[in-house]
Amino acid sequence: MSDDAYPGLDVEDPWQAVEACFAQGWTDGLPVVPPTAPLVERMLAGGPWRADAVLLHEPVRDRAVTAWHAAINAVMAGCRPEYFPVVGAALAAIGDPEFTLHGPATSTGGAALMVIVNGPVREAIGLHGGGNLFGPGVRANATIGRALRLVLLNGLGCHPGVLDQSTQGWAGKYSLCFAEHEAASPWEPLHVARGFRATQSAVTVFAAESGHNVLVHAASEPETLLVGFADAMAGLASLSPGRSVIVLAPEHAQHLARAGWSRARTQEWLYEHARRPLADLKRAGKVEAQFLLGAEMRQWLYARAPGGVASAPSGPDAHARVLPGDEAIAVHRGLSPDDILICAGGGAAGGHSAFFPSWSRGRSVPFITKEVPV
Amino acid sequence: MTRILDPTLRAVLPRTAARAPRPSRLSGATLGLLANGKTHGMVFLERVAEHLRTRHSVGDLMRVTKANASAPARPEDSALLAKRCAAVVTAIGD
Repeated sequence: MSDDAYPGLDVEDPWQAVEACFAQGWTDGLPVVPPTAPLVERMLAGGPWRADAVLLHEPVRDRAVTAWHAAINAVMAGCRPEYFPVVGAALAAIGDPEFTLHGPATSTGGAALMVIVNGPVREAIGLHGGGNLFGPGVRANATIGRALRLVLLNGLGCHPGVLDQSTQGWAGKYSLCFAEHEAASPWEPLHVARGFRATQSAVTVFAAESGHNVLVHAASEPETLLVGFADAMAGLASLSPGRSVIVLAPEHAQHLARAGWSRARTQEWLYEHARRPLADLKRAGKVEAQFLLGAEMRQWLYARAPGGVASAPSGPDAHARVLPGDEAIAVHRGLSPDDILICAGGGAAGGHSAFFPSWSRGRSVPFITKEVPV
Repeated sequence: MTRILDPTLRAVLPRTAARAPRPSRLSGATLGLLANGKTHGMVFLERVAEHLRTRHSVGDLMRVTKANASAPARPEDSALLAKRCAAVVTAIGD
């Protein structure tokens, strides 16, 4: 094929190729695998899509990422071709209109795109859900999430300081992809709970702020164990009507399994206890004047008030002034127990689970689950 | 010699739409204000409009605030802005 079919750069040697990618602004700051046509063809052949199939359309800026461009970025990220179906499914998930990608991709909040993988594909491609699952060391985890970020950078133009206006961002923005440790879960796999069969593979995506380690070593009863989780979730730093992801360490999961707690009961307990008095929010500057004007935020703040949402005050400083009764109004994280997604992950030893708050001080974006094509 | 492929959409992006003709004057013209839906977008745009009123005597204002800052403007809103306004100013304000 002629070079016209493959727009790009001609280079002399591999090192020059790596440097050229830096010079063009095509990397995430780490060296990339130079994407040559044979490598990209091989990547594309790893999935079921034609080269011109649109895997992701971002409507605000009207950008369509085809399988071909996704494959170029997957090569650059270091993916093997057998990872490509997971990359494509994750792109379809973040491109779901409900996910409204433009916000988490560009906001000051600096969200990472979390990808949780379930089903047989985990073992087939070596996706890791055990010890150090959020850390370095496993190619599939490191490169699938990285491929998404490279698509955002190169395909959607989400360059830091330009379209991506993250105030700080965080390391999960390089890559945040892991398998659920299904064998360590007290319950059915996450994707089964979300409507898929255990024999299917699926990705679940979430726009995540940086995670909190939930360290609990001396509790085994659920009502004691979960106090630390609820406390992290109720932290004023990230308290919002948004969603939560809990990744249960196997040790913590075993305590819940032994006590016979279901996923639903655990979600309900956490929702009920992850709360703060409205007065605390006001004292911490967490209630903005605009919150009292919008139906959704009023509902979040005043749903549990004795007089209900109708009792929400108005006035120039009602959002900031602690009013009589504010100590007794409970404000929960999220709007319902369904806003708490729980999965299992981590090594056999250690009482270290994780809580990831959603991006944004508002409702943020929903969890989206998509099947990974065979 | 090895060719490395361009991972951006530069080569395949659709050509951007042609620019609308610039209004020759704003005096008496209807001005659209399109806030992106963040908390203070319209607050900021009201100041801009005030400034344009003082300096250019703009006429009526048509205000639209997107329901979701992460989503495109509704096509019917965009169509109405295009139909009624000589110029539209859009902004984010957080």
